Amino acid sequence: MKRFIFLTLMLIFIVSALVYTGGKKEEPGTAVEDKELRVVLYVNGNLGDKSFFDSANRGLQRSIEEFGIRGRTVEGGIDPSKWEPDIAQLAAGNWDIVIAGTWQVVEFVQKIAPQHPDKYFITYDAAVDFSQGNLDNVYSMVYKQNEGSFLVGALAAILTTSDLPFANDIKIIGFLGGQDIPVINDFRMGYEQGAQYISPDVRVIASYVGSFGDPAKGKELALAQFDQGADISFNVAAESGLGLIDAAYEAKKYAIGVDSDQYLLFKDSDPEKAKHIVTSMMKNVDNSVYRAIKLHLSGELPYGSAESLGLKEKGVGVADNENYRKLVPEDIRKKIAELEEKIISGEIKVKTAFGE
Amino acid sequence: MSTILESIFSPDFGFVILRVTTPLLFASLGVAVSALSGTINIGLEGIMLVSAFTGVMVSAFTRSLLLALIAGVAAGVLLGMILAYFHLYLKTDVIIGAIALNFFASGITIFLLFLFTGDKGTSSSLRSLVFPEISIPILNKIPILGRIASGHNVLTYFALLSVLIYFILIYKTPLGLRIRAVGQNPEAAESVGINVNHIKIYALLLSGFFGAFGGLYLAMGYVSWFSRDMTAGRGFIAIAASTLGSHMPLRTLLGSLLFGSVSAFSIYISSLEVPSDLIQLIPYAVTVIVLTIYSGRVFSGKIKKPKELI
Repeated sequence: MKRFIFLTLMLIFIVSALVYTGGKKEEPGTAVEDKELRVVLYVNGNLGDKSFFDSANRGLQRSIEEFGIRGRTVEGGIDPSKWEPDIAQLAAGNWDIVIAGTWQVVEFVQKIAPQHPDKYFITYDAAVDFSQGNLDNVYSMVYKQNEGSFLVGALAAILTTSDLPFANDIKIIGFLGGQDIPVINDFRMGYEQGAQYISPDVRVIASYVGSFGDPAKGKELALAQFDQGADISFNVAAESGLGLIDAAYEAKKYAIGVDSDQYLLFKDSDPEKAKHIVTSMMKNVDNSVYRAIKLHLSGELPYGSAESLGLKEKGVGVADNENYRKLVPEDIRKKIAELEEKIISGEIKVKTAFGE
Repeated sequence: MSTILESIFSPDFGFVILRVTTPLLFASLGVAVSALSGTINIGLEGIMLVSAFTGVMVSAFTRSLLLALIAGVAAGVLLGMILAYFHLYLKTDVIIGAIALNFFASGITIFLLFLFTGDKGTSSSLRSLVFPEISIPILNKIPILGRIASGHNVLTYFALLSVLIYFILIYKTPLGLRIRAVGQNPEAAESVGINVNHIKIYALLLSGFFGAFGGLYLAMGYVSWFSRDMTAGRGFIAIAASTLGSHMPLRTLLGSLLFGSVSAFSIYISSLEVPSDLIQLIPYAVTVIVLTIYSGRVFSGKIKKPKELI
């Protein structure tokens, strides 16, 4: 009996341990010669964040469906010490293109790509340092999240004094960041500039969770912001930010989603909560991954360079869904569309945290 | 700045402190009861995760809060039992066993979450239930105290009640006496016919019991879904809180309240233009400082050690 319990427990342990590492063992040498393009997306975390990585995965899945390529998403988990060996292993494996994103893994790609000149690498959300000179097989995409954030910042500044049911008269809006890092601060710069563009005396209270995976703390921070007079807050904190949406629902305030259209994500499972998501600042990672693969197939992808995708390239944007149209009066929506035009035409220059 | 001060000096801040403290308090009691028996359980992080997950899943599929409560607590107690089995029968070091338990809990909950929902991040696609918030009749009429103490989640009240339960358990019951005896001197306890292993098993089961409520509160009260690794270190802070309280009921409550207050404070001032890393540091810095002062005072004899209290 003891032995049985012991063996059963061991079995559960082993199975869950395998799952935990994402079963990502990729054996090189099982190569089958075929002409199909083989693309692997490396996620330095897990899927299911309802925003960033899920979006990248959607882009790959769409490419698989439409172009008939072979593709797979590999989840690396949250242990940063595993990311570099993982990417090295994928580069050595039977893949033509390795896609990886976020600033944390870019330096690894930078190191590994020159060792595999026959392979292609695509980085998203952060660019490799092309001045290094030997990165002709790498293509980088970065997003002008500051541009999209400008628009939602402007929207928040208008809504905070509007006669929307849950808006108060105090000119304070919130910003909830995951971590105090450049890419998150790029959102913040745009958001603040957008708010100030509408009304210079709107105050943005910004707080950082310190982690992307603590929704309870995210909720507590958001409740504190609402308590201090904010009536709308911008979620830039992945899973921690789901706490903000919960807080908006509970405190009867508004939330702005991020990366994916978070209204659509909650519309079916929790329609009452979804109604508090005014709009989302979309970072269209999915489109950009799809576009990159498409360009690669037609041989037009400019390897050896980085592109920044902004409003103009539809790399970022404001989610236009039924809730947005229902909540936000038409004149305000027109105003936001006008601002979008102005940014695209270059009339408004949005500041960035990356210091250009 | 003035709005922040206003917020901090309002009764609502007291309310926030209780809310932030609740999961910590449950976990601290879980640590305390195990530590009193001499085998400190650092697996509260894992116990909370599994209970949170079980509670959310059971409530989503059965639509019954009672079943969710029973299943969540059972899951916590079961993990306590697994740890006890590894430690007492297979002779694993309890620290190593608990570390394994924490990793196991993280992995298995993500795995099962994926099986049930197709999502590796959160269970928000399921409509799970939450424990109700209750307004206490007479108390909610009292001006300041009412706003601090009324309207909390039912589990917050149970957390405070748990301190009393823990007090009665260790001071007024034979089991409590044995737990303390085993913790202080297992050989002596054994010499008078106490089965040391059995007592330690009970302590670890109780540890799982208290920890389970912490997990249930996180996923079914604090927020309304399970997300992976959502305990985010609270099980470890609990070890500090419990140690600070010498694993005694009232002192453990005070230790938890201290961390709850400091966390709430850091949440409120986070909107100031101060580097956020500095603010996030506050709860941990206070942990180190308070523990240092505390052990200094124990060393110089100004605070009695728990052993002398028995």
